[in-house]
Amino acid sequence: MTTLTRQDLNFGQVVADILCEFLEVAIHLILYVREVYPSGIFQKRKKYNVPVQMSCHPELNQYIHDTLHCVKPLIEKNDAEKVVVVIMDKEHHPVERFVFEISQPPLLSIRVDNNTSAISDTLLSHVEQLLRAVILKISVCDAVLENNPPGCTFTVLVHTREAATRNMEKVQVIKDFPWIVADEQEVHMQEPRLIPLKTMTSDIVKMQLYVEERAQKAS
Amino acid sequence: MSRDGRRKRDRDDNGWASMGGYMAAKVSKLDEQFKMDAPREKQKDGACSSIFAGVAIYVNGYTDPSADELRRLMMLHGGLFHMYYSRSKTTHIITTNLPNSKIQELRDQKVVRPEWITDSIKAGHLLSYLQYQLYAKQKGLTFPSVCVRQGQEAAGLIHGQTQPSHSLPVPSLNNLIPVLNNPSPSLGKPLSSHHTPISSHSILHIDNLLPQPNQCNPLSGDLNPQPSHSLPLASHLNPQSRHFSPGHCFLSPYSSNHLYSDPGHIPHHPPSQGQAKPGCIQPLAPADTHLQTPGPIPAHPSHEHSKPGHAQPQSSLSFSNHLQHSYRDLDFRLNGSLLTYDKMRTAQINWVQEGGGEDPCSVRPTRGATDPPLTNGHAHPVNGALKPLDLSPNPTLPTDTPLNPDRKSTGGSVSLHPASPLSNSPLKSDPPKLLHSPPRNPTPPPVSHHRHHEQLANEQQPKPPPPTYQEATAALASRPLVLSPPKPRQSDSPPEKPLPLDNPNRSTSPVRLNGSHHNAFTPNPAPLETNNLSAIPSNPATPDSDHQSVLAKTGGIISEFYSHSRLHHISTWRSEFSEYVNTLQSRRRATGGATFPGRDRLKRQRREGSSAAPGPQSCILHVDMDCFFVSVGIRHRPDLKGKPVAVTSNRGPGRVAQRPGVDRQLELQYYQRKYSHAGVSERKDGDLEEMTSAESHVSHSHPDTTCLSMAEIASCSYEARQAGVRNGMFFGQAKQLCPSLQSVPYDFQAYKEVALAMYETLASYTHNIEALSCDEALVDCSALLAELGATPEELASAIRTDVRERTGCTASVGMGSNILLARMATRKAKPDGQYLLRSEEVDDFIRDHRVTSLPGVGRSMGAKLASLGVRSCGDLQQVSLQQLQKEFGPRTGQTLFRFCRGLDDRPVRSEKERKSVSAEMNYNVRFTQVDEAESFLTNLSMEVQKRLQGAGLRGRRLTLKVMVRKVGAPVEPSKYGGHGICDNLARSVTLAQSTDSGQLIGSEVIKLFHSMRLEVQDLRGVGLQVQLLDGAHSAPYDPSGPKTRSIRDMLLAQRPPTQHNHTDLLADAPVADSTTNQGKSSSARVPPPFSTLRPPSPADPIPGTSKEEPLPSTRTPNHVRTRLNLSIEVPSPSQVDRSVLDALPAELREQVERSWTHREKERSHNGSHHRPSTPHPSSLLSSPSSPPTPAALPVGTLVLQIPNQPGQPGSTGIILELPDFSQVDPEVFAALPRELQEELRSAYSRRETAQAQGIIMEQRNPLLQLKQVGVGRVKRRYKKKNTNSSPIKKGLSPLKRPHPPGNSPAKALQHPLRPRDLSNGLKLENGPSTSSLKQDVPETLSKFTPRPEPTLAGACDFTDIRTLLREWVTTISEPMEEDILQVVKYCTDLIEDKDLEKLDLVIKYMKRLMQQSVESVWSMAFDFILDNVQVVVQQTYGSTLKIT
Repeated sequence: MTTLTRQDLNFGQVVADILCEFLEVAIHLILYVREVYPSGIFQKRKKYNVPVQMSCHPELNQYIHDTLHCVKPLIEKNDAEKVVVVIMDKEHHPVERFVFEISQPPLLSIRVDNNTSAISDTLLSHVEQLLRAVILKISVCDAVLENNPPGCTFTVLVHTREAATRNMEKVQVIKDFPWIVADEQEVHMQEPRLIPLKTMTSDIVKMQLYVEERAQKAS
Repeated sequence: MSRDGRRKRDRDDNGWASMGGYMAAKVSKLDEQFKMDAPREKQKDGACSSIFAGVAIYVNGYTDPSADELRRLMMLHGGLFHMYYSRSKTTHIITTNLPNSKIQELRDQKVVRPEWITDSIKAGHLLSYLQYQLYAKQKGLTFPSVCVRQGQEAAGLIHGQTQPSHSLPVPSLNNLIPVLNNPSPSLGKPLSSHHTPISSHSILHIDNLLPQPNQCNPLSGDLNPQPSHSLPLASHLNPQSRHFSPGHCFLSPYSSNHLYSDPGHIPHHPPSQGQAKPGCIQPLAPADTHLQTPGPIPAHPSHEHSKPGHAQPQSSLSFSNHLQHSYRDLDFRLNGSLLTYDKMRTAQINWVQEGGGEDPCSVRPTRGATDPPLTNGHAHPVNGALKPLDLSPNPTLPTDTPLNPDRKSTGGSVSLHPASPLSNSPLKSDPPKLLHSPPRNPTPPPVSHHRHHEQLANEQQPKPPPPTYQEATAALASRPLVLSPPKPRQSDSPPEKPLPLDNPNRSTSPVRLNGSHHNAFTPNPAPLETNNLSAIPSNPATPDSDHQSVLAKTGGIISEFYSHSRLHHISTWRSEFSEYVNTLQSRRRATGGATFPGRDRLKRQRREGSSAAPGPQSCILHVDMDCFFVSVGIRHRPDLKGKPVAVTSNRGPGRVAQRPGVDRQLELQYYQRKYSHAGVSERKDGDLEEMTSAESHVSHSHPDTTCLSMAEIASCSYEARQAGVRNGMFFGQAKQLCPSLQSVPYDFQAYKEVALAMYETLASYTHNIEALSCDEALVDCSALLAELGATPEELASAIRTDVRERTGCTASVGMGSNILLARMATRKAKPDGQYLLRSEEVDDFIRDHRVTSLPGVGRSMGAKLASLGVRSCGDLQQVSLQQLQKEFGPRTGQTLFRFCRGLDDRPVRSEKERKSVSAEMNYNVRFTQVDEAESFLTNLSMEVQKRLQGAGLRGRRLTLKVMVRKVGAPVEPSKYGGHGICDNLARSVTLAQSTDSGQLIGSEVIKLFHSMRLEVQDLRGVGLQVQLLDGAHSAPYDPSGPKTRSIRDMLLAQRPPTQHNHTDLLADAPVADSTTNQGKSSSARVPPPFSTLRPPSPADPIPGTSKEEPLPSTRTPNHVRTRLNLSIEVPSPSQVDRSVLDALPAELREQVERSWTHREKERSHNGSHHRPSTPHPSSLLSSPSSPPTPAALPVGTLVLQIPNQPGQPGSTGIILELPDFSQVDPEVFAALPRELQEELRSAYSRRETAQAQGIIMEQRNPLLQLKQVGVGRVKRRYKKKNTNSSPIKKGLSPLKRPHPPGNSPAKALQHPLRPRDLSNGLKLENGPSTSSLKQDVPETLSKFTPRPEPTLAGACDFTDIRTLLREWVTTISEPMEEDILQVVKYCTDLIEDKDLEKLDLVIKYMKRLMQQSVESVWSMAFDFILDNVQVVVQQTYGSTLKIT
């Protein structure tokens, strides 16, 4: 057994890969559960050994995919503090925010099996279990949330740490898909109420998911 | 994303821009004080001189001698001492050690070791500082990095200069060279074209020009005495070279300036002049000469060609080569110059040639190819310079003549130069005209150029050719000079051949022809240097931002604040005088009884007179000086007696200009509102300690006070008080109330003298004194009166007479049967009176007093009482104890209940336990960035560490107190640098173990800080408090206690150097009662040994005598710390004087011996465990977590777990603990027993040798320490909990119950490797450690501190928590507040830990539990918890939990 640290090559990438994959699943699922899009465009798939819903609308998928592709470098560098899926009403006022708060331990170390020189399976399966739990929480979150008004849209926000924004402007992962600073309107929610959904703590990442919900959704 | 914007500095609109003005005022005030003090010092100390005339030092950090001493020395010997570092005025920075960052910052300053001063004094003249430079590279070949700015426009250039780009010395050289090398093909180019490319170049020039001549002179002066420094640095060389050609400014660093100036000159000269200007040319040449050794550089007729590398006209591409070449050459030259006088000369010459090449080049690296014209121009002048040199006796130079031709060419090039910004500067243009060819100068420099220069030196306008040299000098003298960092190459100064070469003296230097020189020659050398500083771009920030950034960033800021804050000094006097009293006590014990002259005298008087009735049984005297600060201030000014006088810093009419960003009106309203709500409580009397910030007096202010002085009145005379003036009022207001009010400046020296005199007076009667402040003390004179048979009045009047005679100031004395009454009596006694409050009068007396006059009843409590309808003590007496306790808590209620009846059982304590150690700064706190705040907090933590360690304490609870600008309050308060209207927030955390480590505290505090989510810009004050101190726990107060501990305390507090040794001793005696559990029983078994041991032989308790004995390896710092907690220490057998032991009563002796044997067993026990497990130091590092299994050892033995360093000499531990020698108070040192002194000395000397080792050790120790202490502490604490929790609480609350091993921390102890259970440091260590990991630790420690998982009473698993909560709710009918708070704390921790899910579950669970409970109290408790949690959630996430 040897130990990998964050400094070791592509360790951040591993974490980012895992997280982005998860986020993609989660976003699709949120869109389904919160009925942002008609359920007709969703297909049932299996991920983390649980059923999930995934959109089959190519443009939507592309959008989500591109977004996460841009998020990935941030996660790699541990620059992303929160990834937020914001569901907004017709006036573009947020009604719900699904906040994935990500923190990676500063000193990451993973045991690696020398024989396979791969991150040990137990670790991965542990992480998968945790992620599965989060997914399950998402799929039942409608139980604790009010119904959204019709005609909602969604957007993805990233809260970065410190100077990450500047770097992002320099390095555009995808051409013509730049990050922009979020409107205050999109970020700010009146009378938010916070509903914690799930916290997962693993060796490589600590993530908690909570929902902020506008108190008066109808208005 | 939005966060980014916040970080931008908006220094312009925050009103802070005027800081410069404030600081200037403050600095000038300090200077004034210094000047005032100087004669005083000189009087005191006959020996004075003016060795240091023109030298202004700034002391950074610890030095030996101390800063104070240095200040005194500077006073004595004609120098200046700057409290605040000023780039423009400070000439030397004195320090013994600088952090790297500072070295970078001060790179171009003269950073000198303090020995320079002492040695200079010894030598009787100013020695060259070069030998004493702190770090050798200091003045090395660093050139202002021109290259950075190349692209900038001319306008920007000047600005650019100010910014530091020194970092690349070599490149800059290179740059220079290329320029020179380039032949100037296009001399004829239009100036305009040159402008832009030159810009960077121009920058350099400007810098150089300004500083040059002046600096050289002062420096050279220094250098002269010791020409033979062997320092390799260019700067060093210079001195010697100077001898050869005194005229030149040799100081190589500075000389560079000269060079630059020259180019400027050149442009001005019309082509026709070309031949004429030796002056201009020369300066360059000399500089070069310094550097060069004769050998390498044959004298070439023309610079360009002479050097293989340089000579060839090279394109810019070839620069790199040049660089290398030049660099090498430089070194070489330097060495050469050192070698011999002759060589020097030759070197000079050579240098000249080269110099031509190098110096000018330095300016421009990249540009070279593109700017041929410029380079040419430079080169030519250089050549011209060579000529003059040739004249000087220089064998090596083959021919001067070649230069001349060049010179002419320069003439052609001259036109080009003006294009460069340098030429623009009026200075340059002037000098050439003046010196060399005043008549000749037909063409005034182009005006456009001037503006740049003007920025630097405002006043200088391009003058028509000045008629005389002298005029020019006069004109120039006033202009500010900017010195460039030391550059070997530049040397403009030797323009005039006749003077420079032969004349060794600096004084001659003024003769220099170059205009630049003239500038340089300001009458006062100091100003020059200051300019230098400003020029040094170490800080990229603009000047006004400097203060800020420096404030927040520099490491020393906080300690600087404290060391400079005079008010802080006063506040520390109290502890100083406490120490004084302690010393008295111990001295008396040491001498077997003290002499009390006052008492004796009184006794005699008594005998003569008839004896009066004996006084009350117990009598406390409260002695308080009458308006201390005023009476001290006017004691030598009888004219002010009887007039309204106030002590304040403001001397003016009480008005100051209003600063922008200030909304005074708003603040006044705020305070008024607040004030009226709180109810008026103006204290009638008291001096400085009552000086509060703005709040207390604002009610008096009128709305039109917008521009009144905000200087606070520290103290005012009774006459002034009659007019309504109050202490703490702002002077401006006071002046309105009382127009005849006179102000008196602070005189801290005098305060101290008078205060000391007062204490001495008191001490001449008795030693039972409690110091309350510098002017106030409590005296327990019960015994004294009984002995004398005197009445309190007699004693009081005797004391008052004494005090008046000795100090010239009056004191009032209040007498009562307890402290409370004595203090209240003093109020009646004032001014200048005495009053005995007899017990029979107490009731009537106290009834009419306002409640707020009771000690401990402040405004807020007063308001609360008022809301109960209680205003006077009489009212308070009507309130039942229960009600009071309900309102104010059990303890406060009790106290109030007693106080209002005049009951007070507090004893007069000549020594006090500290309850907390804190450091706070709410002045001048302005951050723009989170980093600044963090580093500030770190620094503040270090300050706290200093204080903790100074007091020998360690604390467990940290409280961060923050003042945040109230929303809507003006950004800038009307008091300069003040905090304005603020919200006060506090947050605290309890650490796993006690600590005094600043780093640990810092990281915790930063965590706290972040959890508060504040806008750093709005921070106005930050305070850090450490409570739950360990020293305090271990030794509960007992009346006879002070004596038993006082020596140690004295040592701890007064003698930092020996403190550790001493504690080592104590520590190294293994103690029998090490477990807290056993504590009680053992204390019963072994009576406090010191108290018993000491009396027989006073020398005994100073175990230092045996200190040097090789001690068992247990002696390590860790050991010491832990040991300090133990309340009972039995010295080890080796340290106990056998005879003393024998003299002890049999039982006692037996006990002591038993403890020894016990200890012996323990030691062997531990030893068996330890020896094997203590690894080699290196292995310690890699596996720091290998402590022996704690379970096997009694808790108390944790000390022994500290891994020893087998390889180290036993003394290493001690050595590490010694403070810097400079901090040792010499007096204290002298007062030590001789052996102790010797030991200390040898320890210090040994430390010198062991230093390297020690450093390594120190690096290792923190880790070890952390862990070891942690383990011990945790365990200890829990044990304590079991035994100490009050009987009432015990058993009632499951939260406090010891937890089943499964959840309890005890379990964690058994698995020290489990990261979460231990402190941060531990966690880091515990990771599978690779060496790379280790290195990361320090940084990561401060930045991210992995937090331990929050626990509720030791439980962190949700099921455990649930069980715990259920038990709590079901078994207890009424929850204790403490437990509720604990739950809240746990929830808060969960939020911080970002574990909202668990929080949610816990809350929901509690909700179910508590709301189902029959007791409505539980519902309320839940609401309380929920409210608190919601607040925190709101703060953290901006939203509240949805509880369904």
